[in-house]
Amino acid sequence: MTAPRPIRLTVNGVSYEAAVEPRTTLVDFLRQDLGLTGTHVGCEQGACGACTILLNGQAVRSCLMLAVQADGAEVMTVEGLGGRDGALHPLQQAFMEEHGLQCGFCTPGFLMSAYELLQQHPQPSDDEIKEALGGNLCRCTGYMAIMKSVRVAATKLRAASPAAAGTVEK
Amino acid sequence: MKPPRFEYAAPTTVAEAVLLLQEHESEAKILAGGQSLMPLLNMRLTRPGLLIDLGKVAELKYIRESDGGLAIGAMTTKRTVEDSAMVKSRYPLLHAATLLIGHAQIRNRGTVGGSLAHADPAAEYPALAVAVDAQLRAVGPKGERTMAAAEFYVSYLTTALEPTEILTEVRVPALAKDTGWSCAEVARRHGDFAMTGAVVTVQLGSDGRCAQSRIVLFGVGPTPLRAQAAEQVVIGQTPSEQLWAQAGQRVSEVIEEPLSDVHASAEYRRYLAQVLTRRALAEAAARARGAA
Amino acid sequence: MAAEMTKTLSDLPVSATRFIGRAVNRVEDPQLLTGRTEFIDNVVLPGMLHCAILRSPYAHARIKSIDVRAAEQLPGVVAVVTGEEARRTTQVMASLPPEWGTYCLAADKARFVGEPVAAVAASSRYVAEDALELINVEYEPLTAVVEPTQALEPGSPLVFEERGTNVMLQRVLTWGEVDQAFREADQVFTEQFRWHRLGANPMETCGIISQWDPVEGSLTCRGSFQAPGHMALGAAGMLGLPLHRVRMIGHPHGGSFGGKGGARGVGITALLSRKSGGRPVKWIEDRMEYLVAGGSQSWDRFYEVSLAVKKNGTVTGLKVQLVDNMGATGEGFAAFSTAKPLASFTGCYTIASAQYDLRLVATNKSPQSPYRGMGPPPHNWVLEQMMDIAARGVGLDPAEIRRRNFIAPEQFPYTIPSGNEYDSGNYEAALNKVLEMSAYQRLRQEQAAARQQGRCVGIGVVSTIEPGVFDWNAYAIVGMPMTGVPEGVTVSINLFGKIIVRVGFPLEGQGQYTIASQVLADYFGMEMSDIVVVPQDTLSAPPAFGPGGSRLGVALTGAILGAADQLRDKLIKVAARLMQTEPANMELMDGKLQIKGVPGAEMPLAQVAVVMLTRSDLLPPDIDPRPEATYVWTAPGRTQPDEQGRAKSYLTAANACHVVMVEVDAETGKVEILKYYIADDCGTRLNPATVEGQTQGSLAQGVGAALLEEYVYDDDGQLLTSTFMDYLLPTIYDVPMAEKAALVTPSPFTPLGAKGVGEGAMHTTPAAIMCAINDALLPLGVRAHEVPATPNRLWKLIQEQKRKT
Repeated sequence: MTAPRPIRLTVNGVSYEAAVEPRTTLVDFLRQDLGLTGTHVGCEQGACGACTILLNGQAVRSCLMLAVQADGAEVMTVEGLGGRDGALHPLQQAFMEEHGLQCGFCTPGFLMSAYELLQQHPQPSDDEIKEALGGNLCRCTGYMAIMKSVRVAATKLRAASPAAAGTVEK
Repeated sequence: MKPPRFEYAAPTTVAEAVLLLQEHESEAKILAGGQSLMPLLNMRLTRPGLLIDLGKVAELKYIRESDGGLAIGAMTTKRTVEDSAMVKSRYPLLHAATLLIGHAQIRNRGTVGGSLAHADPAAEYPALAVAVDAQLRAVGPKGERTMAAAEFYVSYLTTALEPTEILTEVRVPALAKDTGWSCAEVARRHGDFAMTGAVVTVQLGSDGRCAQSRIVLFGVGPTPLRAQAAEQVVIGQTPSEQLWAQAGQRVSEVIEEPLSDVHASAEYRRYLAQVLTRRALAEAAARARGAA
Repeated sequence: MAAEMTKTLSDLPVSATRFIGRAVNRVEDPQLLTGRTEFIDNVVLPGMLHCAILRSPYAHARIKSIDVRAAEQLPGVVAVVTGEEARRTTQVMASLPPEWGTYCLAADKARFVGEPVAAVAASSRYVAEDALELINVEYEPLTAVVEPTQALEPGSPLVFEERGTNVMLQRVLTWGEVDQAFREADQVFTEQFRWHRLGANPMETCGIISQWDPVEGSLTCRGSFQAPGHMALGAAGMLGLPLHRVRMIGHPHGGSFGGKGGARGVGITALLSRKSGGRPVKWIEDRMEYLVAGGSQSWDRFYEVSLAVKKNGTVTGLKVQLVDNMGATGEGFAAFSTAKPLASFTGCYTIASAQYDLRLVATNKSPQSPYRGMGPPPHNWVLEQMMDIAARGVGLDPAEIRRRNFIAPEQFPYTIPSGNEYDSGNYEAALNKVLEMSAYQRLRQEQAAARQQGRCVGIGVVSTIEPGVFDWNAYAIVGMPMTGVPEGVTVSINLFGKIIVRVGFPLEGQGQYTIASQVLADYFGMEMSDIVVVPQDTLSAPPAFGPGGSRLGVALTGAILGAADQLRDKLIKVAARLMQTEPANMELMDGKLQIKGVPGAEMPLAQVAVVMLTRSDLLPPDIDPRPEATYVWTAPGRTQPDEQGRAKSYLTAANACHVVMVEVDAETGKVEILKYYIADDCGTRLNPATVEGQTQGSLAQGVGAALLEEYVYDDDGQLLTSTFMDYLLPTIYDVPMAEKAALVTPSPFTPLGAKGVGEGAMHTTPAAIMCAINDALLPLGVRAHEVPATPNRLWKLIQEQKRKT
């Protein structure tokens, strides 16, 4: 059973079938087998959040999962955030405008954590932003511009989606 | 930093998982949410022959109320607990303790059963389980049995589970009427394991005195530690800052040799236990009065 | 006749700048935000193998034998190398001080935990790590020397037996009449301080792909190199290759903060590639490798500091004794960090005399590496605490004692006793600004009220200098003989009138490609999207160092303006010929070449470029037909140091003043930062958003230094903090969102008046937080002298004091 095991999963809307050795971590599978190198490896200790992806809509650390555990799952990575034509997602746009990144290595992880937050809380409070991003380490920005980026992204997304605009959080 | 080779099985029922565990007893390891196990695998600090992944065992994912308490399936994620409106309104201590565990990404994967069975002495859930007299249900080759949390925790990372048993459910009783609670801890950063923590409940009687109290410490011994002597200081007495301080001074009696590590010396942990007990009692009593 | 050199904003050939000075979006960001930037671990080459490194579990041990046969037999393993091979085929690595280097794989003995002992190249990192477990090393453990006290004892075990001592370097430097100042002082204050080891920890670790060409005898390395040119020199020396046979390709990398490059990684992967017959070998340092033995650990310092003070608060003398635990070797060139304080030894103050007594000690800890700030952060931390101690001693407010000692605006350029010249500044203005922003008097009232309630609330007020635009000459006292750090660029205009600028450094995070685009777009009156920045490898780039020492923004601007001026002059010559006039009658203005004073007599740049590239018949006879110019910038006026190390070294002196309010929980020892204010002056801000980001990011690292980060070793030299669960980086919860104000005193010496700012708040934050903590602890009679000020440490101090009283 250490032999490769078949898995099926959807990544950024594309279905994949693959055979993976059980010990292969999900992040290695995404990066090496699927060539989706936008998800970065920062610590493999579950502590930095650089490898954060969405698993069935929830932000998780892909270094703390085996690829075999993602069998049947729907995965979203940073490559699935913007348009295939290169158009930036409002969240990415906000990070650019508010200088929410410097070296950019941790950024895909922050984007995915923030994406889940904004799905759940279209108008997040600062405490909710901290709660969602507390598990993502950034060594460059000192977080202030990241906070601003997420606030601005929330505004952009609400403006883009009138349905959510009416949602008012406590 | 890549895991060593292992075999992998993903059973879909508890029965199937128990059978696998029986077959591979000495070399098998249960994989629940993996948030503690995966770093150890990545660092090659553990090398199981077989990983039994419970991720596909649907029957272990639930939260429901029954018998005046909450029954939570072992594979329920902390995130599910955190998001449960029922937990938030009727089991606020459980909700608060859940929010102290790691970060959002960890709670999205980490499971209730995983935390309880991993038995990290600095973790919140085991201490909470002891404080509220939670019952833990396990299934093994001989069928199922239920243990009180106080008996479940044996030593550092060690529980009363047999090697062929799987933790399947925890039952969390609702707090009695007029009971206040507190889950207090000191950690280096938000989301880190506590250097020391305390889960405390205080029930106020109609006379304004403390009718009942539970004081359970974590991070200061091999298991969660119930400080009965300190509880006795409180029970029957009128709440006051002085009382809480007196109770705090008695917690040392149950603390033998706390862990000493890069973050906190044994001495410091012992002191924190006193301080946290005092503060948690005050907060719990205030909650019982409806003041917090 | 050539036009004048462009030095200031008003010299730019445009009626108004549109990009410089504005918080424009960064050109780097769309790629980074979509995950498309080519970090080194994204690169896959045909036939590529993966390296894993076996590391010493002992801090000090003789290597008796290594058996790699079983590892070589493992399917998927292509090559295994050990120290024996390194000794046979390579030179010891370059080091500073010189001759404290070792082979890239331990050849005779291991000198620190994590020192590479053997390495494997295999089909995957998984298999390579499997193979490491099959290597059998027989060690003879030796007594480890972990702290300088032990290392300096007679008869101590020696890290390098052949050196006969563990002292790597010892110097006493005296500037001015320091003994007299102390004799004539009204009060003398002396304190000891301990700054524990911490380090860079960029989110991306080091990564390298080496490919040996056995036919040509050459090496190509791709990697996350902060300074590719210097990596190439090191690799050539180590591998015995001529420099033109080494090509270093710097990839965009995920932060550096000083220690990125990995000389050992280059050596080890090069050996493996050669042994694999020239297959590319990739090594991605994992986080544990980084923490244990990467380019990470810095500043392990013991200080004794004395200040000579007059009754009125005038500080007249400063003595600093420093013992720095450098770890096992000099391979990280971290000795620089002990020399750099010379660039701003006496801070913002007119202290007339000083002495620096410096000892670098070898131990069996991991070798130190440079880290953001390169030494002044701990130096400022001790100096600023001494200023607070002096303030209390003479009965002045901390803000007031600083004000009384500031260098005044009219004194610039100002030469400090240790030799460097500060370009410009207005320190009192920055202090006034931050006091006003923070409503300082009201903060003091809040503090008094809190103290009434028994709360330990404190305020820190700290002013510092950030030396910017580093020069090698600052490091003369530790053995660096050079003056001047060249940075070159090539600017070309293509047939369509767009600009290509070729640079010698990869992306690292500070936004320099944006700065380049802003400056060129303004210079040539274009859009930023008309500019493309192309990084070159070490064989194609003009002389270049890259980022480091708060230098690149200024150096790059200088290089670009130099090249743009030359290109402009060349284009003018061609245009003048085409328009049948003299070059002296022509000018570049708002993106067009025009005849001065003749409206409409103009040519677009593209037209001139097209003529240059396609119509040689129309060109003046003496012109080189490329619409291109290369310029190499070095800081003007740098000098060779004297015997006391005095030189004009760092070109700029940025200044910042921080006010921070903290509360210490006297029972748990936990520190909470309540408020944070910064006023800073780094001259012209080329991109204010970038400056803000550097300041806030550096503030975060300062918070880490003050409260969280520490490499803890046990008595056997084992590192106890080898994960991010134990080595604690600040999270979004830990960093205050500081209120900031910008002052602008342009530098008279730099292009456009900008000053170095990349190292930023790290110079000030640890000092400011520590001063605030000590202010908070004052009523308890406790003073902390160590960072990080962990809860356990503060608790212990408070308890000890309680026991005494």
